[in-house]
Amino acid sequence: MSFENKITDTVQTSNYNSHNENQEMIRIHELKKSFGDNHVLRGFNLLLNKGENIVVLGKSGSGKSILIKCIAGLIRYDSGSVKVLGNEIKDLSHAALDDLRVKIGFVFQSSALYDSMTVRKNLEFPLRRHKLKLNQQEILEIVKSTLDNVGLLHALDLMPSELSGGMRKRIGLARALVLNPEIVLYDEPTTGLDPMTSKEITNLMLNTRKKYNTSSIIISHDMHCAKLTSDRVAILSDGICYAEGTFEELQKSKDKTIHSFFL
Amino acid sequence: MTKKNSLDIIYLMPKSLSLFFEEVGDTSRFAGRFLREIWFPPYEFKEVLRQSYEIGYRSLPLVGITSFIIGLVLTLQSRPTLAEFGAESWLPAMVGVSILREIGPVITALICAGKIGSSIGAELGSMKVTEQIDAMEVSGTNPFKYIVVSRIVATTLMIPLLVIIGDAISLYGSYLAVNVNDKVSISLYFQQVFEKVQFSDLIPSVIKSVFFGFCIGLIGTYKGYNTKKGTEGVGRSANSSVVISSLLIFILDLIAVQITSFFGLI
Repeated sequence: MSFENKITDTVQTSNYNSHNENQEMIRIHELKKSFGDNHVLRGFNLLLNKGENIVVLGKSGSGKSILIKCIAGLIRYDSGSVKVLGNEIKDLSHAALDDLRVKIGFVFQSSALYDSMTVRKNLEFPLRRHKLKLNQQEILEIVKSTLDNVGLLHALDLMPSELSGGMRKRIGLARALVLNPEIVLYDEPTTGLDPMTSKEITNLMLNTRKKYNTSSIIISHDMHCAKLTSDRVAILSDGICYAEGTFEELQKSKDKTIHSFFL
Repeated sequence: MTKKNSLDIIYLMPKSLSLFFEEVGDTSRFAGRFLREIWFPPYEFKEVLRQSYEIGYRSLPLVGITSFIIGLVLTLQSRPTLAEFGAESWLPAMVGVSILREIGPVITALICAGKIGSSIGAELGSMKVTEQIDAMEVSGTNPFKYIVVSRIVATTLMIPLLVIIGDAISLYGSYLAVNVNDKVSISLYFQQVFEKVQFSDLIPSVIKSVFFGFCIGLIGTYKGYNTKKGTEGVGRSANSSVVISSLLIFILDLIAVQITSFFGLI
């Protein structure tokens, strides 16, 4: 049995509903989230199908990161519905949410690598904490093969402080992929990188999709990345999904708000 | 008085005072969450051990050196005053009582508030602003248990141990200082110390050290865990962890003195 299958089998016996006939990976309906008087999301709707990549564009502070944190259950939303693999996030218990998170990879804007741990320990952390009944040898094999997939096998015993910005992003992606997730949520994966490294990360995201057969929501400002990685683009403006379509469709739009993103 | 009227009082308060009460309320809620979560699994034993090593063992050299100097200096400074009354023979007992009851626990706790409190505040603050706490949560870990509960438990267990070791080193420093002027054997010195110090003197001192340790861990983790405003916030968290926990140590010490004198333990 491959390591990927072993992880999947363990999760089949878990607390959340893993049966998802419609191939709907994520369905967001009328999602609302406010912080005091600041109404960040005012009824956001989105549907992510299996194998699809959706790029969410929006101005800084428009609530893009809040959106994917609501999907991962890191922030509790005020009202509306977020269904991931058919499971309503706010109805899940802590244990069920943890089980569901095995199927969700999260690539943080700042990479969020644990400073006190080596790259190897960073990748081992989710494998050990999700209690997947893997032995030490199996864990090491998964870590090595995931690092190999992002081209950083040689960084196994380095500390995060010894890595460049691009390497940190790759390790952040590797940590998100180590559990072989069905969904990957990218929070501005190319922000703060030079154009060359940005291009490398974009290619890595495309390879990841092919190799791991993932569906993704990508939060980005990088139009080059959006063009290459998206099947559809959603524009988040004033807390709602202002427009949705392919990159080319939206690029041709005459609407001022939509057009401002493609200047 | 209606609920609306009682709320009016809050709005009439100066802003700094209402912020102070808000902070006290939030810290109490944080402490309440710690006291609720500590009893239920999963128990992070490995992380508690790792933190105990970081907090206890790694602080030992600093606590040891400062305790040694305090014992030495206290003895050298007290000797001329006692000599005026011809009471040099009381020196070991006087220094022993001062160190074991008061100076040892307070000085050790203050040093740890500076070293450990700032380190916890800065570490957790930096984890917060770089989203490491969120990353932990998506990795199937309760970050409150893993990083908050483990650190508070470690400080609560380690500070009393450091106090006991620090007290012993202080008394040894005092013994060396006594020997600068007089020739006294170590057995005679400690015999003189324990003529006036009872085992019951040590119990209130250890109990208050437990509270000092809890307070250092609680304030450090609370400030770090609730860090806002990026790297500027990390600095503030580290700084306020030290300031608030040092102040609380003095307040707790004052309360401890009142309680021990009430029960006739002084």
